[in-house]
Amino acid sequence: MRKIQSRSIFEIDLYIVISALVLLVIGILFIFSSGVTATGQIASREYLRQIIWATTGLIIMLSVTFLDYRLFYRLAIIFFVVTTIVLLFTPVLGRSVHGARRWLGIGQLGAQPSEFAKLSLILFLARFYSNRWKDARSLKVFLTALAITAVPILLVLAQPDLGTAMVYFPIFLLIALFGGSRPAHILYVTCFVLALVIFTVLPFWAEHLTQRSLPFALVLTDRSAMNMLITGLVVALVLAALGLFFTRRRLFGWLLYGISIVTAAIPAAHIVRMVLRDYQIMRLVVFLNPYVDPRGAGWNIIQSMTAVGSGGLAGKGFLQGTHSHYQYLPAQSTDFIFSILAEEWGFLGVVLVFILFGIILGRSFYVMILARDRFAGLAVAGVAAMYLFHFVVNVGMTIGMMPITGLPLLLLSFGGSSVWTGLIGLGIVMSVYQHRYQY
Amino acid sequence: MSIQKQQHIDSKRLLILASMTAAVFVLYSWRFFQMQVLEGYIYQDRAQETAQRSEPVFAQRGQIFDRFYDEPLATNRNSFTITVIPADLPQGRQEEVITAVAELFNRDPAFVLDRYRTTARGRFQPVEIVGNLSLREITALAENIQSFPGVSWYSKPERVYPFGELTANLVGYVGDITTQELQVLFNEGYTATAVIGKIGAEQQYDQVLRGTDGRRFRLFDAQGRRVGDDERIIPPVQGSNLVLTIDRSLQKLAQEALGPRIGSVVVMRPYNGEILAMVTYPRFDPNRFIGPGSSVEVQRLSRDQRSPFLNRPVQSSASPASTFKIVMSTAVLEEKAFPVEEEINCTGQFPYGNRVFNDWLEYGHGPVNLASALAQSCNIYYYTMGTSRLTVDQIIDHSYRLGLGSPTGIDISGESSGLVPSPAWKEQFRNARWVGGDTVNLSIGQGFLQVTPLQMAVMVSTIVNNGITYRPHILRETRDPVTGNVITRTQPEVIRDAELSGGTLRDIRAHMRKVITDGTARVVITTNSVDVAGKTGTGQIGVEEHYHSWFVAYAPHGENVPVEDTIAVVVMVDAVNEWEWWAPKAANIIIHGYFRGLDYEETVIDLRRGPRPLWYM
Repeated sequence: MRKIQSRSIFEIDLYIVISALVLLVIGILFIFSSGVTATGQIASREYLRQIIWATTGLIIMLSVTFLDYRLFYRLAIIFFVVTTIVLLFTPVLGRSVHGARRWLGIGQLGAQPSEFAKLSLILFLARFYSNRWKDARSLKVFLTALAITAVPILLVLAQPDLGTAMVYFPIFLLIALFGGSRPAHILYVTCFVLALVIFTVLPFWAEHLTQRSLPFALVLTDRSAMNMLITGLVVALVLAALGLFFTRRRLFGWLLYGISIVTAAIPAAHIVRMVLRDYQIMRLVVFLNPYVDPRGAGWNIIQSMTAVGSGGLAGKGFLQGTHSHYQYLPAQSTDFIFSILAEEWGFLGVVLVFILFGIILGRSFYVMILARDRFAGLAVAGVAAMYLFHFVVNVGMTIGMMPITGLPLLLLSFGGSSVWTGLIGLGIVMSVYQHRYQY
Repeated sequence: MSIQKQQHIDSKRLLILASMTAAVFVLYSWRFFQMQVLEGYIYQDRAQETAQRSEPVFAQRGQIFDRFYDEPLATNRNSFTITVIPADLPQGRQEEVITAVAELFNRDPAFVLDRYRTTARGRFQPVEIVGNLSLREITALAENIQSFPGVSWYSKPERVYPFGELTANLVGYVGDITTQELQVLFNEGYTATAVIGKIGAEQQYDQVLRGTDGRRFRLFDAQGRRVGDDERIIPPVQGSNLVLTIDRSLQKLAQEALGPRIGSVVVMRPYNGEILAMVTYPRFDPNRFIGPGSSVEVQRLSRDQRSPFLNRPVQSSASPASTFKIVMSTAVLEEKAFPVEEEINCTGQFPYGNRVFNDWLEYGHGPVNLASALAQSCNIYYYTMGTSRLTVDQIIDHSYRLGLGSPTGIDISGESSGLVPSPAWKEQFRNARWVGGDTVNLSIGQGFLQVTPLQMAVMVSTIVNNGITYRPHILRETRDPVTGNVITRTQPEVIRDAELSGGTLRDIRAHMRKVITDGTARVVITTNSVDVAGKTGTGQIGVEEHYHSWFVAYAPHGENVPVEDTIAVVVMVDAVNEWEWWAPKAANIIIHGYFRGLDYEETVIDLRRGPRPLWYM
């Protein structure tokens, strides 16, 4: 095998580099803005730290770009094992911030292992699927991949960090999709998760939104009613299975598919309700109607939407956003940085950021096609999944279309771990692009 | 090695992913476009509303002066009002905080909480919970403000009445608007926190006095801290000052002359209807309605059986008794019902039907003509006139012409119209036929007839003013609060012409003078300051030794005295008091003091000095 170095540094994917650079600069500007109080004082030096992280992150990104990604293939297992061990100890040894142990570090330096775990999961799943491409359609491979994904999910949930834990799931979905798993399997798991969320939230929703106990919500909380329901569902399940066995009609197959999702999701939701904290479920509830609790959990959504909407077409001007500077927005340098941007730069600023993320995602999809081997394509798919999910959830929550989960907007939000993760992810994409002709 | 192009990614699946990604971008872009561009104004309003708090800048209520426009009868003092912003009160501990504030200022927590609940309107609108606090009291709160989250205060002018109860019945007082009042007045710009005049001029001229409150807008951050120094102010428009027709030294003189006797005094100017003094007893001090315990005080006074809130000269009526004989004499003169000089022999008894009506003098006055009948207040003469010389309709007609039986139209609310009974009235309201005895009673001002002291003053004024009646009023002018320029001046308003001939009026005035010189009032009207003309009245109420004591008069008397110099004086002392025949005695003091320019003590001393000794004091 012969190695051919890229002919020139300008061969690297300038679209991604420039987009990332502009997003980082915008991010630093608005982290600065978020630290300015209403009286014009600079209350926070976060933007300086972000500059350091962005700079170092860019260096790391470029280093990764010029490294042959096959190195990551080789290191994928070690990465995964190391991050798993670190995640295992984070709940015990981690620093407690806002009641959750997500941070690991010494002194002022710290990192969120859960962020880097996204990368190690991407690499590990990509490697796993590229090795099993021959029987990728099998249920066994799919379930194994699911089990691998469940490791970081469960460990991060234990911290507890619901938002980050959710990111691993779309990473898994996309890698499985492009790794060759059957759509029916992927759809099944997706529907199961959706049903799980719905059944988890429903009793809370009934309690807070309708102020009366609904019969179908009672089924989910009352043990005897639930037992009856599950018994009924199991009977239906058996009948469908028998029907499928004797008639071989596809209809029974779909019935089995659908009923089994519901049957599994109901007791699972019951367990989730016991595991999750009330405030976490409440955040999902207020997403449906923030005015249920306007001073509590709904406050963030209302204030964010107010900030965004009041921005108008061209915004209130940089540092002129009243809603952000009067500190009506919570966690404005991390979770709600996009709200400040939307308030101060208006719809035009929003479109600019959309275009930049659009370029990054578009180029990632393009690189997936160009990828020289399976591992490369799947790793890029994982990175794209990560970017897409962070974008959809974070931007969506500023306008009340997604529940508040505390997911940062990659590259824009304040935070060393997330900036580095984002940039390393792009480094992987560019490394794949860089080495697309090498065999 | 050849570079071989081999694709490992399923293009179809990638196309689906790319389409879904594009769909998300389009959906989000549309939503942002909708929120920011199409509906941006909604969120801009909401952002404003969230960060901007406004509080009222209270207009100074106009001051109220007496006719001399020097010292106010009602003015304002700066005081502080505690407010809470519902949104800033700690969740679930609202009542606790409000109770703590109430207890700090010794207010009834239940009352304060009730007020909070009934007046709270918006989450960010301040609600007044405790008012009328001094700077010293507010300092006590300010020092511990951390213990009272959501609690704040602003300055709110407080009404004070430097002359206290002296003019309380005329000036009135103010209080917080009630729910019922708000329902009626909401469309006229009153709000739930408005202060409104309750009685008197404060009530009658509330719209003139109140001005328009301004508003101060300030920005607050999420922690409720003030943001920036810039504040937008809509300045308040100050209320106009009122200048009343009242002469406060005469008011004081009249009040002291009446003394602690349930009753009324009215002094007015016949030629234009100005009220110079109007006294009622018992009274109240409006200053006691301010601050802690004010509601208790209002309740206590409301329950007082002597009705201290009643402005008796205007709002209470009684039988005029013998003072009505002026109306009778006018009717006899005007209708030429009986020769003026012809005498009737008064034996002290008047048989009518199967009853015998008595004179107040057991064996009668002997032969009396019209002039001496009025002077001696001979009942028998007027019984005769009423039953055989005049018709009931004529008596009623002359009562109306002199202003009885209908409100005078004074600018004080709640005026009683009194009652002039008629056969039709008795038929309708008493379900009984008018009988001769009713006419006999009416002839001497007894029976169903009811008049207010003000109506009697208007009657006297009409006689003095050659039959022309002016609307009595207490508002002289309104003035600009800053420049002091007159904005409006009350023009005398003719409300009635009694259409009495000059001869009738001249005669009746002469007869009224004779009451003082040769009649019933001779011994009590001792003043030598001016010539007084008038008529006494002693109203029977059916209780031994208890009579209403009336005295209606004007001064100075004399056909060459310009009407501009004349005042009409009416004193009425209620029958619940010990019988002292006090009404003419009080009038004597009032008239003497007024024309000599003396206060009460000086008047009494001056009267004692003679020439006729003041025998009753």
